[in-house]
Amino acid sequence: MADYSKHGGGGTSWPGRARLALAISAGKLAGASGRLFRIGGGTSLPGMIARRIDPNVLRSVMATTTAKKIVITGSNGKTTTARMTAAIADASGRRVSHNRTGSNLLQGVTSVVVNFADIFGRLDSDLLLFEIDEGTMPVAMPEIQPDVVVITNIFRDQLDRYGELYSVAKALDKLLESLPETATIVLNGNDPQVASFGQQARARKLYFGLRTTDVGRPVPEHAADVIRCIRCNEDLVYEVAYLSHLGLYRCPNCGYELPSLDVAATSIHLDPRGDGPTQVTMETPLGQLELTLPLPGVHNVYNAAAAVAASIAAGFGIEKVPAALSNIRTAFGRLEKIQAGDQTIYLAFVKNPTSFNLVLRLIAQHPGEKHLLLVASNTVVDGEDFAWLWDVDLEEISPQVADVICSGTKAEELAMRLKYAEVPLDRVRVIHEREAALDAALQNAGPGGTLYIMASYTPTQELRRIMQKRGWVKPYWEE
Amino acid sequence: MTNEQGKDTRLVLRIGHLYPQLMSVAADRGNLFAIVKRCKWRGIKTAIDQIFVRQTPDFTQYDLILFHGGADREMEVAARDLQAKAPSLREAAESNTVFLAVCAGYQLLGHSYKPFEGPELKGVGILDLHTEGGSTRFMTHIAIECEFPECGKQVLVGYENHSGRTYLGPGAQPLGRVLAGWGNNGKDGYEGAVYKNVFGTYLHGPVLPKNPWFTDLLITRALARRYGQVELPPLDDSTEQEAHAAAFKLAMAFKGTVSAIDATPWRERLSPGSASRSL
Repeated sequence: MADYSKHGGGGTSWPGRARLALAISAGKLAGASGRLFRIGGGTSLPGMIARRIDPNVLRSVMATTTAKKIVITGSNGKTTTARMTAAIADASGRRVSHNRTGSNLLQGVTSVVVNFADIFGRLDSDLLLFEIDEGTMPVAMPEIQPDVVVITNIFRDQLDRYGELYSVAKALDKLLESLPETATIVLNGNDPQVASFGQQARARKLYFGLRTTDVGRPVPEHAADVIRCIRCNEDLVYEVAYLSHLGLYRCPNCGYELPSLDVAATSIHLDPRGDGPTQVTMETPLGQLELTLPLPGVHNVYNAAAAVAASIAAGFGIEKVPAALSNIRTAFGRLEKIQAGDQTIYLAFVKNPTSFNLVLRLIAQHPGEKHLLLVASNTVVDGEDFAWLWDVDLEEISPQVADVICSGTKAEELAMRLKYAEVPLDRVRVIHEREAALDAALQNAGPGGTLYIMASYTPTQELRRIMQKRGWVKPYWEE
Repeated sequence: MTNEQGKDTRLVLRIGHLYPQLMSVAADRGNLFAIVKRCKWRGIKTAIDQIFVRQTPDFTQYDLILFHGGADREMEVAARDLQAKAPSLREAAESNTVFLAVCAGYQLLGHSYKPFEGPELKGVGILDLHTEGGSTRFMTHIAIECEFPECGKQVLVGYENHSGRTYLGPGAQPLGRVLAGWGNNGKDGYEGAVYKNVFGTYLHGPVLPKNPWFTDLLITRALARRYGQVELPPLDDSTEQEAHAAAFKLAMAFKGTVSAIDATPWRERLSPGSASRSL
């Protein structure tokens, strides 16, 4: 548990309270002006300003609230899992505060508090839902003191930010030990590494995952990260692999295997055209659920299972789950379908080989030749080390590629990767400027055509801003 | 234009890919793609064997051996397994097989690797060098200058991400001189190591695709072992040259930073305007 005394307890004394009020007011003002002047959603700015005035702002508000606090972390699926959890809580009559735009570093998390609290730091919510970047967890978790921690999965992600896979995992596992008995840890049982978490933790553990042979492959794909036993380093044997290293696994040497799943998708019917809906039967400790998810792909079954497990852990029950999940929409940039006049755009935010491969596999099922726009940049959030592009199976889609525009500071590397995936050179063009790249790609798609955009984080936001200016999408903070 | 398969030369390059899953942390399979495609485009066939733990093939049958990077945990597994493979690997190195060893693979071709925490790992001792773990990681864009009789002075570009500090003994030559980045140990200004046809480097990215001159050097030397001197017909490398130029620009822009990510401002630092060109 965190030691509050050494942090001064911002909200206890009069000067402390005044400072907290000032911090929250200034943060709110910054967010409002950001939206007013359309310079951005103000999703991390309010938190940044507020923390500058009172570094304890998040800690102070968290210490006094009676709301349930759910933290969702992991490499992939955080945003959609959080949205699904929010929808279930909302349908169950809970008032939810949520960093729903996916601004998941410490500032974005603090923004939730600044946006939803009054100036005295009081929150009028039953549930505080935080999506948190796995690298931010060590600083954010002690400040939040969550009731439920969900770990979706751990994939190779931005090696240059967090060092290697195991150090991220080790840090997360260690953090779980600080949770009290009253807390619940929700873990992906299909992820050999995540499933091994919390062995030393006092908190209750709830495992979610898939247990079916309706989907998946017999062996993990090449970009899989953890395929050796977490205990004895022997190669794991898979009965079925659903997504990268997620699957039904067993160690032939020491017998380590996946834990018994509390929330398990036992029957899955995916849309063969890769577009949705997905029919899922889910077993839970509170009974069986029949779900129709309007979203495509196995990854969204994981998101739903994680959200259901989180809702059970938080005490929301399962009655409202089918209704809540039946009209869930894609989060911004998650293969988001956008109408652009008579043209259709699918916008996918891709940040690691797993998410990129997943999108490629889905759109490969869409009929016809593909017009693509690929954008990758080097910024803090996008990462400097772009080596992982070579773990992306562009070969799977190269026979379907009609044309590609590459943009961003990594445009040349993208073009070269396409060349080595044997996409003919005359179908590939580099256009650095974002709007020009979008226009050229739309021109490639032609009247009534479909354009697929795969972009890293910053370019996804930039492209969306352009589309918002053109009236094709709502600003992401108004979704 | 399209890259077609080259006219069949009847040449076959035999490749041994060491620990293709265990040691593959930084997508270094791109090195294999570069070699295979640049051979294919010239009508040279490639035969690839994947070599896993517990297998002890005769490594002298390979013209080229790839040995890539992994995290400390994988490295431990590899180090233990390597001892059974070491005699045959050494024989291959002495018989002029080409090795490309990257990061952890590079370290394990040396005498030893002492991590910052944990027990020392024994290498295979093909390269006269040893490595010690440091407390900070070098994680940045890197460019080095190399010189070889076949191609004169050339620049290698890539990304480095390592806490190991490598020190060369008299039996190994550095691969190149650091232009930007940190290289072997951040002190002596050199990067990588060469002994006969054994090349070790910290450069990933992966290193070969955007350094086609180096890929072709490895292919030429690998073929020479069984076929003598083979002239590789030139390819259209304009795409690779542009990627090389972009990576070189990044290396220079980040020169002196230990961690590129810490030094990156939120906005893109290089905005090359609205240049549009057909490849």
